[in-house]
Order: sequence, then C-alpha cells, then structure tokens
Amino acid sequence: MPDVIEMHLKLLFDLDNLISDMEEPSYKKIGFQIEEEASLVLIRKRNDLLKKLPQEIAQAYEILKKRYRQAIAPVDSEFCLGCFQKLPTQLSARSQEIVTCPNCGRILYWRKKE
Amino acid sequence: MNLASLLSKDRVNLSLKPGKKDDIIKDLVYIIKKGNDAELIVSTLLKREELGSTGIGKGIAIPHCRSLAVEKLEIAVGRTGKPVNFNSIDKKPVSLVFLIIAPPQDPGNQYLITLGKIVQIAKEITKKNLIQKAETPEEFITLINDIEKNLTKRK
Ligand SMILES: [Zn+2]
Repeated sequence: MPDVIEMHLKLLFDLDNLISDMEEPSYKKIGFQIEEEASLVLIRKRNDLLKKLPQEIAQAYEILKKRYRQAIAPVDSEFCLGCFQKLPTQLSARSQEIVTCPNCGRILYWRKKE
Repeated sequence: MNLASLLSKDRVNLSLKPGKKDDIIKDLVYIIKKGNDAELIVSTLLKREELGSTGIGKGIAIPHCRSLAVEKLEIAVGRTGKPVNFNSIDKKPVSLVFLIIAPPQDPGNQYLITLGKIVQIAKEITKKNLIQKAETPEEFITLINDIEKNLTKRK
C-alpha cells in the first residue's frame, strides 16, 4: 500500500493500543499521573487520524477492529501473523493497493528488512 | 524477566545531549530503531506524554508505549549532564530517562510487569540518590541489577 497510508494506519493502530492500555486496570495501578482530559485528547487524536485515511480504508479498519483486537497484521516469510496462515505467493509488498489476508481479512503490511 | 538482562551497554547513554523533552525522547528511540519505525514510535510516545508526563518526579522520567515497530520488549536509558524540563509531576527537571517500548501482542503481559518494575527501581534510585552514581554503562547495568536483586529479596 502507499507509504503514507501505511504510516497512518500504523499510527492509528499504535494509538488504539495506547487507548486500551490507558483503560487497563493493571496499567492504572502503576500510578503514572494522567491528565483529566486525557480520554478527550485520545478521541480527538483518533478522529484526526481516521480523517487522514481514505474513507474506505478507515471503514475497513473499524470493521476489522470490532472483529479482532488487532486489525492489521505483519507478513513474515509469506505468513499472515494475524492468523498464522500461509499467504498466496502472488500477494506483494509492492502493491499500491491495500492488501488483506484472504483467510482472516486483516490489512497486511510487510516488515522492512533492516 | 530480569531487567538488567534487557539492557546492554549500547542501550545506555550516560552522556545524552541535553535538549527539549521531545529531543530527549527522539534520541533515545533512535538508539533502538531508525527511519520510519523510529518516527512511528516517537509519535506514539509523544501522544502518551500529552496525556500526562511520564516524569515521575525527583529527576527521573519513564516514557513508554506499545508499538508495532518493535517485535520484542526494548529498553534504552539516557542520562543528561544538565537536567531537562520534562513537565514532571513535581515540576523538577529530569536527568535520568528510562525508555520502554513493547510490541502490540505481548504474551504474559511482560510490558506492564517490566514497566512496574522500572518504576520501583527508579524510586530506589531517587531514594538513595544514585542518579549520577554510575560512571559507565557497565556500572549502570550492575547498579540496576543490584537494586533489582534487593527488591526481589525484600518480597
Ligand atoms: Zn490472516
């Protein structure tokens, strides 16, 4: 998928994990100071990110997020790490389209080799 | 999991360049990752800071988040000669920063356990006035290891 879309999806994904951690009792117990308006800030940031994505991708993400906790998944040696199924070989990291896993439907991204 | 085992000397920078809070966070992230991955982590960490500073007081901060840019728990530590403003709870500037980044999926909840442990260790460091004690990364890791052992013994 285009780099900028991939980056926004990843930012949204990390933000969603941040939101769920902030609500997690064992996180709260650690005792970091949280501002009163924190949850409002999170909602605003989430909406901002959703607006930066093409509408159909934002919608797909939201539907997947309801189905799975993790709406996007990395590909590792031709396996979807969301459902651990082997992917058809014609799926490509270079595709300019959004690629989803034919088995679980998660939006796929390819890890860049360092 | 032992905290000192997650730290190696190339993850400890005891002469971090003093600067703005964002720069400190960025410099520490770049010890762990580069490029887009680093930018993603920095962005998520700064969002977390907006919800409330992770400066826990008495000169220590513990910025943290989960990010898909990492595949396992990653830690880096930085110390600045000159303390920097981190909007900490006690308004005091910070000179020791523990950075912790966890992958989204984290079996056994290592992230929150380790984060809790770092908070405990940080409190020991301030209580015993040890922020500036270590002179080398090796000494710093030994110090962390000793504090961790003592904390485990007390339980
Ligand atoms: Zn899948």
